[in-house]
Order: sequence, then C-alpha cells, then structure tokens
Amino acid sequence: MSPLTLASTLVGLPALASVVTLALRRTPRTAAAIASLVAVVSLVVALVGLVVAPTSDEASSILGDLYAVGGLDLSLQLGTGPATAAVAAVVALVACAVLVFTQWYLADDDRLAEFAATVSLFTAAMMLVVHARDLVLTLIGWEVMGWCSYLLIGHWSRKESARRAAYKAFLVTRVADIGFVLGIVGLVAGAGSTGLDAVVAFWSGTAADCADSATQVVGACAAPEPWLRSLLVSLVVIGVLGKSAQIPFQDWLPDAMEGPTPASALIHAATMVAAGTVVLAQLFDVLVVADGARWLLGVATAITMVGAAVLALGQSDLKRLLAWSTVSQVAIMLSALATAPADVGPDPGLFHLWSHAIFKSLLFLTIGWLSVVAGSTLASRLRGSGNAHQLARVGWLFGLLALAGAPFVVGGLSKEHVIVTAYEGAVGAGGPGVIVLAALLVTVVLTAAYAMRAHLVVDAPDPLPEASAAARMPSAPVLVALAVLTVLTVVGGLVMITGLFELERASVVWMLLTTLLIVIGGGLAWLARGSGDPRDAFVRTARQRELADRGLGVDTAYRALVARPVLGLARVVAFLDREVVDGYVRGAAASAGIAGWLTARGHRREAASGGVALVAVGLLVAAGTAVLTWR
Amino acid sequence: MLLVPGAVGLWLVTGGRALAPATARVAALVAACVGGAVAVWASVTRPDVDRAWIPSLGVRWHLDIDGISAPLVVLTAVIGVLVVVHAWVEQPWLDEAKSTPDGTGRISERGSAATYLGCLLLVVTGALAVFAARDALLFFIAFEVVLVPMWVLIGRYGDPHSAAKRADASARFILYTAVGSTLMLVGILVLVTRTGTAALDELPSAAAGLDIGTQTLAAVLLTLGLAVKVPVFPLHTWLPAAHTTAPTAGSVLLAAVLLKLGTYGLVRLPIASVPDGFARIAPVLAVAGVVGIIWGGLICLVERDLKRLIAFSSVAHMGFVVLGLASGTELGLQAALIGNIAHGIVSALLFVVVGGLKHRWGSVDLDVIRPALREVAPRLGFALVLGLAAALGLPGLAVFWGEFLALVGAWSAAEHTGLLRACVVVAAVGAALAAAYALRVARIVWVGDAVPEAELASARAATPDTRGAELAVLSVLGVATVALGLVPMIVLSVTADAAAALLGGSR
Repeated sequence: MSPLTLASTLVGLPALASVVTLALRRTPRTAAAIASLVAVVSLVVALVGLVVAPTSDEASSILGDLYAVGGLDLSLQLGTGPATAAVAAVVALVACAVLVFTQWYLADDDRLAEFAATVSLFTAAMMLVVHARDLVLTLIGWEVMGWCSYLLIGHWSRKESARRAAYKAFLVTRVADIGFVLGIVGLVAGAGSTGLDAVVAFWSGTAADCADSATQVVGACAAPEPWLRSLLVSLVVIGVLGKSAQIPFQDWLPDAMEGPTPASALIHAATMVAAGTVVLAQLFDVLVVADGARWLLGVATAITMVGAAVLALGQSDLKRLLAWSTVSQVAIMLSALATAPADVGPDPGLFHLWSHAIFKSLLFLTIGWLSVVAGSTLASRLRGSGNAHQLARVGWLFGLLALAGAPFVVGGLSKEHVIVTAYEGAVGAGGPGVIVLAALLVTVVLTAAYAMRAHLVVDAPDPLPEASAAARMPSAPVLVALAVLTVLTVVGGLVMITGLFELERASVVWMLLTTLLIVIGGGLAWLARGSGDPRDAFVRTARQRELADRGLGVDTAYRALVARPVLGLARVVAFLDREVVDGYVRGAAASAGIAGWLTARGHRREAASGGVALVAVGLLVAAGTAVLTWR
Repeated sequence: MLLVPGAVGLWLVTGGRALAPATARVAALVAACVGGAVAVWASVTRPDVDRAWIPSLGVRWHLDIDGISAPLVVLTAVIGVLVVVHAWVEQPWLDEAKSTPDGTGRISERGSAATYLGCLLLVVTGALAVFAARDALLFFIAFEVVLVPMWVLIGRYGDPHSAAKRADASARFILYTAVGSTLMLVGILVLVTRTGTAALDELPSAAAGLDIGTQTLAAVLLTLGLAVKVPVFPLHTWLPAAHTTAPTAGSVLLAAVLLKLGTYGLVRLPIASVPDGFARIAPVLAVAGVVGIIWGGLICLVERDLKRLIAFSSVAHMGFVVLGLASGTELGLQAALIGNIAHGIVSALLFVVVGGLKHRWGSVDLDVIRPALREVAPRLGFALVLGLAAALGLPGLAVFWGEFLALVGAWSAAEHTGLLRACVVVAAVGAALAAAYALRVARIVWVGDAVPEAELASARAATPDTRGAELAVLSVLGVATVALGLVPMIVLSVTADAAAALLGGSR
C-alpha cells in the first residue's frame, strides 16, 4: 500500500465506522465492539504507515481530481510524511485505547453506541487534520472535531452541568474560530489556492516565479506584504489558542471534565487540543516569518503554561488537575513552534505532542479506573485508591513521571527538546524566545510539584474497602491497553532514533539543570505533604481553594464581558426589528389608510361622478387591505 | 414539466374542490412526481422551447434551463414532491375541525384538501416557470403566479389558532412582495424599452450600450424589488410572520422555493444584464447582507418562538448569499448559488421538524418547559440536531460551502476591497452567532433532564417520534444535506460554466 492510500484509509475507516456504529445503536454492545475493532484495524494501518512512511521530505500527492471553483484551486489533497505518520500512529493508538476502555467504562450506558460513533467520527476528523494538505480539509476536520467535542462533553445530557459545559466548550472555541476562519480565508484568497503547498509557498515569500500568476486572485505576484501576513497568521493563531484552550480561552477545558473520562482522554491526549499544534506545524514556514504571530503565540503560551500549572496545583479534583496540566503541556508544545528558528523546524513541538498523547491518555484512563473504584474524582476521595491494583499504581506513577519530565521517559525527552529549542530561539535574533524559556523553567518546577502531589494522593497508604476494589476490576482488554500505554510511556522516547521526527541532540547541561529543577519542585511538594494532601500547604484558605477550583473566576468574566453584552445587544436589536424596521411598514400601511379615507371623504363632499367614485372605491379597497396589515 | 402540475393544480383549485382528500392527495402526488421527473429530465437534457407569445410586445414563450437554473429546478421539483407527501402527515384542512370540540361542520370553512394541494402544485409550477423562463416579461409573470396560491396557503391553511394572525401575515406577505414586484416590473420595463428586447439572453449585450445612469437606475429598481423577496435587511419583516403562520408545507415552500426566486432573479436580471450598474450599488447590498447576518443572528439569541427563530436564521443565511453576489467575483457567485441550494435543503429540513413540533405541541414557545426530544423522540431529535448543525455552518454539511466560499470570494474582490473585507470580518462574527443560537435551541429542545419512568409513556404520547411519511421526508432532506456537504462538486460543477459565462460574457 502506498502511503497515500494509507492516509485516506486512516481518514475513511473511522468515518465509516461511525456511520455503521450509529446504525447499530439498538444493539449498543455490538456497535461499540465494531467501533473498537475498526480502531484496532486503523491502528495496524497506522503502524504499517509508520514503516512505509517516506523518510525524507513530505510526499504530498493528489487525491482525486483537481477542482477549480471560480478561479480558486480547490485541490483537496491528502498527504503524508514521517512526522505525519508518527502523529497518525499515536492518534490511532489513543483512539483504540479509548474505545476499548469505553466498552468497559460505559457498559451500562444506554447511549454507548452514540458515544462510540462520536469517538470514531472524532478520530476521523483528527486524522483528516493530520493528513490534510489543503486548508479547507483542515478547516473541515477542525470544525467537525469541535462538533464531536460538543457531543462527547454533553454525552450525559441529563445533567445540567454537562449541558452547560458542552455549550460553553463549543461556543468558546467557535468564537476563537472566527479568527481561524478569517485567517484561512485570507491565506487562501491571497494564494488563489487552498492547497497547503501553494499557500505556504506564496505566503513565505518563496513563490519562485510568476508563471501561474493567472490563478492568483489578487493579481500581483509580488511578495506578500509582511503586515498582512502577520495579521492573517495571527488570526489563525487565535483560532488555535481557542481550540487548544490557551489564554484567554482556557476556561472551557476544565469544565469539559463533565464529559465521560474516555472522552476527556481522547480530547486531551490526541485530538482536539493537540490539533492546533498540528495545524501550526503545517503552516510553520509561514509562521516562522510572521513575527507578530510568533510574539502573540509565544506570550500567550508563556502565560498559559505557568498559570495553568499553578491552577493545577490548587485543584481539589484530580481530574481537573489533569485538565489544567493539559492546558499547560499544550502551551509547551505550542511554545516550541513559537520559538523554533527556521532551521530547527516544527518537529520538537510535534515530538512533545506524540509523548503527551501517550502519557496523558494513560493518566486519564487510569484515573477513570480509579474513579470507578473510589466513586469520585475528588482528591479527598481518591486517597489511597492506587492500592486497588498494582497496574493502576504503576501506570499512574509513570504517567506522572513523564508529565513532570523526568529524564529518559517519553515526556522528559520531548520536554528537553522543547527547552533546547526555546534556548536557541532565545539566543537567536527575534521571536519571543527569552520569555518562553523563562516560563518553561518555572513550569518545570511547578509541574514536578503537582505531579508529586497527584502521586502522593493516589499512592497514600490508606486502605481501600476490599469488596469495592475487587468488584470493579476492568476487563482484560482494558488492562492490556493500559499496560501497552505504560510501556510506551517508558520507552516511547525511542521514536527519536527512528528518525521520524527531525530532532537535534539534546544537551547534557540542560538535562542536568531541568533534573535539578524537577527535584526542587517535587521535593517541595514532598516536604509540604504534612499529614495529607500537599495542596493544603500551598492553598491555605477556603476562599483561595474556591478561586483555584473556579479557574480564577474566568467564567464570570466570560459572562460579564461577552455573553451579557451580546444578549443585551440582541434584545435591543429584537426591539428595533419589531418597533422600528417593522414600524415603517405599518406606518406605510396606516398612512395609506388615512390618505384613502381623506380622499374618500373629499370626494363624497363634491358629489363625485361615477369615475371618481370608482377611484375612491379602489382606494378604499387599498386602505382596507392596508388596515388589515396594520393590525 | 409545467403542464402536468400546473393543470392538475388548477383543476384541483377550481373544478376538483369537492374531491375527497384521499383522491386529491393521490392525484396531487402523481402530478408532482410526473412534473418533478420531467423537470429533472429537462435539467439534464436541456430542451429549448421558444415560441412567439405576444408578438406585438416582442414577448416570447421562451423556456430553457442552463447551469444556473438547473440545480434550482431540481431542488424545486424534489421539494414539490416532498411537500405533497407531507400532506399525509399534516392535514391543515382538518385542523380547525379538530380544534373545535363540535367542529365537524366547520371543515368547509377551512377550505378543502383539494384547494390546499392545488395551491401547493401551483406554487411549484410557478417557481419552475421562473427558473426556466428566458424572457424578462415571462419571468415576471411566472414570478407573480407564485404569489396568489401562497397567499391562499398562508391565509387559509395557516396557524389554526388565530385568524387575525393569518390575515395579518398573508396580507403582509402579499402587499410586501407585490410592492417589490412592482419595482421589479418598472425595472424590467426600463430595460425592455431602452434596449428593445425582452430576451434574457440578449439583454446583457443590448444593455451594454446604455449609459451608466440608466444602468444604475435599472439595477437599483431590480435589486430593490428582488431584495424584498430574498429578503435582504431591512426588507425582511414579512418573512417571520409568514413563516410562523404558514402550514409546515407552506413554510418549506417559502424557504426552499420562494426565497430562491429572489436570489435567482438577482443573478439573472441585475447581475447579468446591467453589471456596471450593479457594481455601483454592490457595496450597499453587501453591507445590507452582513447587517442581515448579524441582525438575524442576534434576534435568534432572544427569540422565543422557534418558527420565528428559524425564519430569522433564514435572513442570516441569505445574508451570506447576498454577500457572495455582491462580491462581484465568480467565486462569490458560485458560493451564492450553492449557498442558495444548501439553504433550501437545510431550512426545509428545519421547518419540517419545527412544523412537526408545532403540530404536536400546539405552539413552539421556547419558554415552555417540555420533555427533551433526545429522551422522548430520538429520531426527530436527530433530524433537528442535524439541521441545526448544518445551520451553524458545520463543515461536511451543506451550508458550509456556501458560507466559506462567499467569504473567500468577498475577500478577494477586485473592487471595494477594503469595505468587502470589513464585511467578511463581520460575517465571520455572524457565523459564531449562528453557533450560539443553534446550540441554544439544541440546549432547550433537544437535551434535557431524564424523564422519569412513570411519565415516559405520557411524554412519548405527547411527542410521538417521527415515522412514515414524515420520516421519509426528513430522510430525503437529511441525506441531501450530508451529500451536498460531502460532495459540493455535484452543484459546483454544474454551475461553474454558466457562472463563468455570466460574468465573463458581460464584462
């Protein structure tokens, strides 16, 4: 199979699976089983794709015919390359693990089939974004993911909190997508083609010749104006910030924890939140010359990674802790793209995406298991739940080690590369490298601290009620999936030596320094453990706790700054529509009526002749209909 | 194509009024199917009918279908069949009898089934004639033919709860659109007298010789007249009233067929005939379009009546179509054409669902708390959510292509670039508003608390899930929504050449 066939298979299979699964919704278990089966097949296909992936440059090929719509090339291409194949493999892996886990976790849910279908569609959309070599296809995948996230977060739609969270997630990301759509529209219109290669060639100023200037809508084939390029890429970046839950759009993601845990694993690990990294990596050649956009991205991610890490430390719910850690980790990925010099390329960011996908899915699925054991995801309830099973304990531990960035496990290796990249960006000219580097080092300390806290809580020696732990053992496939993810968390970094990602060597000095920082952070949390949760040492008062749990009250700000003014405006507009715009219609009807009546009276006085009477009758009829309208 | 539904429609309205509903339904269905099949066949083979009609005025009976009208003809034909099928679901001629306790004797006051079905057929016939007409006066006459049966549909078979409302809505509809038509007629007459031809094919070349003042005058008159029909802000206030009051099939026809007459007319008359004049007023039209997008979107955020809400969302969607038209680019024109078709399908879908809900519940006030559709009527709920997802411009569903391409087209416009780009920004904000109101509806109607076991049976009885004819209608529309979203080329490739010729030939 050629790489391209593989790419289209990877997109098509899950999409097909979602249709079949939905059709079989009357037999939920069969439906979910089929969805999982297809996911396993896609995983195999993705692994084959890893092997046959073109080893050098990205091979992009044409799928189907080249369409042209009114002077715009609508090429609708899929393509693949080494980094693409690696990301696709990890997406397939996570989707597979999530579906297997779902079958156990939601076994009694009456909407299991709908859930599995949505997960499949979600995977297809992500695969589309990963493989797209066309901005319209990217946009399609991007929006479909948003829609699927709405369905998944709102899966338990009988709960008001889930309904609200789903609504909020979709709206916040959709508002950010105003920027994304506008950016894409501008980029596409400038290049006269939706093909990624054409767009990148045009906007990075490397359009070699003016031979095909006939296809360019704007006409001039001169190099694009820098300010316009910065503006458009910044707009795309705004969309990415929304989808990736970066400041100022961050608040939807923790609320999205209302969704079932497998959905969270999917959204956080491999799909929606990470999609921004993929898209910006595809546009990297344009991003790297758009300084305004790089600054925007760099500053936003720097603030987000530190802020989210602080909030993670203060959460009283461990699932929300993981959510905030995702926000922080995605900021790390994106910061690599913001700072990377042109010769380094986007691969450090993608590598962190790869490793984050593995360990974050492991953490989420483990906490899903632990929450079934403990009956809640609150830190106070989860104390000692790691004693339920050795695999849960080990998986949780290694996931956290990778999260904290301990050397040699997968998350550590990729974080090293991001830090080195930021350093090179900082010493090189331009770009937000210095700020990002400083934020990264602070984040390393904080991440180690909250990872240590999560470990201490789950691994506490408190005994569990025996019966509950035994009764709630997951099925064998789930255990296998968790074991695979655990092993990959430990050895996944070996992907470095396959050459799928183009990476430079990490430096030993930086590794020693970050290890020191991790020890400091973890040590602080350990020292602060006291009798129970180390959080109590950092967040002392009840008020502070509530503030942390509510994400510093950003939700209130959204409502006060956006929702309420828009609704107010809507009421004003509705009033204007009723009383002003419609007013002149009724006014016209009324004045016609009055005029008709006056004329009729006038004519009556002068004893009208037959002809005039006819006119008067006509006017009366007109007046009558007008009055009818007016009423 | 025109003869069969037209003749049967006329016969049903006049001679066949006493016909039993069952017979009338079958007759109408056969007529709609035959007419539809011939229409589809005609849009593939493209026959050309050209006869002298009123020689003294140079008016010819000239029917022809090209790339621009073919998708609309097919859409109209399909919708025509669907609305007749829908008569098995909702029987507006009986509603009054049902709503009065002793009401068996009042059926005759409400009008007969045959009249209702005949009116449906006449509307479809008129619309088909408009899309096929190649003569400006024939176009106008066909345009007017549609109005009267539509007025009957709204006024007589509309909302059974309030006669005053029906009268208001139908009178408003007919007066508003008649004013628009008059303006259009004046515009057409200006063109015809100045150029000496009424043939749409010859008008562009003939009108090219006119001075710019006349061109602008004709463009203003034509655009203003047709803008009422589209409707473009601020001429839209007839639409919500008409939609709310009309029976479900009437709403579907309004949204899927009548609104299309307006945009089709805009393409055919001002854009094709007097492009220079149109270019001068295009910025105004673009601004009106985007104001409509925002205006409709905002009202949808607070509107309480679901049917009115969908009607206002139509105003917003047609704003995108108008923006595409006003961009003056081939891409924008293509976007407008596909946006037109997509809106026809999606709004038809939504109106069938919402009309069905109104039929079940008696009203669709969003402030009344009802059991969630997802709990009691999952199939109907699925159709609603599909329609809402399409309405908010979700890619992979029909509406997306029209919106996205309209934005690209307007962004890359050659003239008035700055203004049109500002319009693009505003329109993109409007797309976010669409998400807000679509999900608002979903949150109120589709999802909700679990229904306790004890009340489940009564809730299901109050809101029976869709089945039979209604399910068939919904399935056809739903499949069309998805198909057009996945393979927009089925429309884009048909319209491509004609659109290029239209803009290229006139410049």
